Amino acid sequence: MTFFDYLTNSYDNLFELSLEHIRLVLISMGIAIVAGVPLGVTAHRLKFTRAPILSITSFFLTLPSLALFAIFIPIFGLGAPPAIAGLTLYALLPITANTLAGLTSVDPSIVKASRGMGMGSYSRLMRVEMPLAWPVIIAGIRVSTQVVVGIAAIAALVGGPGLGQEIFRGIRSVPNANAPNLVYGGTLAVVVLALLFDAAFVLIRRLTTSRGIR
Amino acid sequence: MTTTDPQPSTTPDRQAAGETLIELVELTKMFPGEPQPAVDRLSLSVGRGEIVVLVGPSGCGKTTSMELINRLIEPTSGHIILDGEDVTEGNPDELRRRIGYVIQETGLLPHRTIAQNIATVPKLVGWGKGRVSERVDELLGMMGMDPDTYRSRYPKELSGGQRQRVGVARAMAADPPVMLMDEPFGAIDPITRERLQNEFLRLQQQIQKTIIFVTHDIDEAIKMGDKIAVLRDQSHIAQFDTPENILTNPADDYVADFIGAGASLKRLNLSRIRDLEVTADAPIGSLDEEPAELLRRLGASDWSAMLLLDAKRRPSRWVTMGDLRRGGDLSRVGLEARALVEPHATLSDALNELITSNGGCAIVVAADGAYQGIVDLETIMAAVRTMREQHSAFYLAQKTSHGVGHDSRQDEGR
Repeated sequence: MTFFDYLTNSYDNLFELSLEHIRLVLISMGIAIVAGVPLGVTAHRLKFTRAPILSITSFFLTLPSLALFAIFIPIFGLGAPPAIAGLTLYALLPITANTLAGLTSVDPSIVKASRGMGMGSYSRLMRVEMPLAWPVIIAGIRVSTQVVVGIAAIAALVGGPGLGQEIFRGIRSVPNANAPNLVYGGTLAVVVLALLFDAAFVLIRRLTTSRGIR
Repeated sequence: MTTTDPQPSTTPDRQAAGETLIELVELTKMFPGEPQPAVDRLSLSVGRGEIVVLVGPSGCGKTTSMELINRLIEPTSGHIILDGEDVTEGNPDELRRRIGYVIQETGLLPHRTIAQNIATVPKLVGWGKGRVSERVDELLGMMGMDPDTYRSRYPKELSGGQRQRVGVARAMAADPPVMLMDEPFGAIDPITRERLQNEFLRLQQQIQKTIIFVTHDIDEAIKMGDKIAVLRDQSHIAQFDTPENILTNPADDYVADFIGAGASLKRLNLSRIRDLEVTADAPIGSLDEEPAELLRRLGASDWSAMLLLDAKRRPSRWVTMGDLRRGGDLSRVGLEARALVEPHATLSDALNELITSNGGCAIVVAADGAYQGIVDLETIMAAVRTMREQHSAFYLAQKTSHGVGHDSRQDEGR
C-alpha cells in the first residue's frame, strides 16, 4: 500500500483526528491565555512577583513532556484532561514572558502622559498599555501555539485525543508494512495544522493591531 | 466718591498679574533613600492667565516641581491650592483632568488616531460624541491643521512639529484653566521650535490659560514667560520676576551667570514687531498691474525695489526698475519675497529673518499672510537704542534708590 493509497483511504479518519487535535490545542491555548496574560500583567505591575512567576512558568518547560502528561494521570485519569493540563502548562511561559516584555517595552513617556491626563490604572492598562503591548503578546501566543500543536501529538500516550493516536498506532504496528504510512500521515497532518495556525495568526495580528503601530 | 483706578500695566501686551489661580505652599519632596529633598519648600503664586516659566540647569528639580503640581509625584509635605481649593489630597486622576499636560516627548498614543488622542480627556470626563468631535475639529483648526486631512491620521504619520501641536491641542481639549508644559518644544529643530513658540504665544492671547512652563533654555524662558522663576538646587527660587527685571537686574551672581553673556541680544526677545513703527511707505504693487504703472510708482519713490503682492495681498516678489523694464511674467521676475514675520514675532526673530532675506528687510504680514509693512535694520537699531536708554535709566533709578548714587557716573560714561 503506497502512502498515496493510505491517504486516499484514511482521509476521513485523518480529518476527524485533525479536528480533535485542533480542539485540544484551542482548549489548552484558551486556558493558557486566560491564565498567562494576567500572570504577565501581574509580573509587570507587582515587581516582587516577577521572579517567582517567571521561574515557575519556565520550570514547566524544562520538564520532559512525557513526564508532564504522566504526573496528571493520578489527578485526572486518562484521556483528554491530563493532556489539556500538560499542554496548558507548556504554553504558559511564552505567553506570560511576552506579556511582561510587551508591557515593559511601552514607551514610559506615553504612560506618563496617560497618567498626567487623569487615566486611572485600569483604563491605562486596557486602553494604552495592552494595545501597545499586543503585537508582542500575540507573538508569544503564536510561539506557544506552535509548540502546543507539536507536543499535543505526544498527549496520545496518556490517552489524549488527536493526531498522536494515528502516529502511535503506526509505532505499535511496526512490523506491519503499513506502519510507516500511519506515522507519516499523522505527522504530515500535524505539520499542515501548524502551518494553518500560523497563517491564522498572521491574519489575527493584522486585524487586531492598530494601523498606528503596524 | 472714591474709585480705585485699575493699575495701568507697564507692559501692555503681557497680562498683568491678576488674582492668584495656583498657589504652591512650601511644597517639598523627599525621595526615599536620598539625604536631601529633591524639591525643598517651594512656594510660588501664579496669577490667572499668566505664563510662569521655571528655568534652571538640569537636576535643579524643575521637572519634579512641575510633576508635584498634578501629583504625578506625590508631595511629601506642603500644599497645592488650585483656584482657592486645596487639592493636595483627594483623587489625583480628577485633579489631572483639570490640568492640561504637555511633555517634551509628546506622549501621543501611537495606536490611536489624532482625533482619538485629542478626545482623550473629554471622553474621560464624559462629554457626548457630538461635542467631542466638534471640539477636536475646532482645536485642529486652531493649530493650523486641516481637520479633514489630519483627523484620522496616526501620530507616526505626522512631523515632529505637528505631533507637538497635537500634544498641545490634546492638553487643551477639555478646556482646563491650567496647563503644565514640560519642555514642550525641547525636542524640535530650532526653526520649527521658533515657529511653534510664536504660534503658541499667539494662541495664548486668545485662550488666556494659566501656564506653568519648564525649560532649561533661558532664551525660551525670556520669550515665553510673563514671569520667570530662576531655580537653583532643590528648586530653591533664586529670582522670581518679569523677564525685563531679571535681565536688567539679576538678583545675584547665580542668576547673572545663568542669563549668561549676550544679555543685550536676549533683550531682542522682549520686544515684538507690533511694538515697533513698521515702515508702511514702501512702494507696493500687485501682480496683475501694468508694468508701466508699477515703473512710474517705483520711480516716484526713493526705493530701489518694489514689493509685489498677489491677489490675496500676500508678498510675492521684490522687483527693481530693471526687472520691470525687462518685462515678462511678473510672478517670475525679480527675487522671491522671503523673510516674512508676523506682528507677535520678537525683534530677535525679525533680525534673524532679515539677515537671510533678499531685500535687506523683513516683511511684516498678518496671520493670514497679508502684507502689513516692512522692518529694516534701521528700525531695529532704533528700537534697541530706545530700549537701552530705558534700561539704563531704570538701572540708574534702582541704584540711586539703594543709596549708591555716586556709582552712576560709570553708567553715564557708557
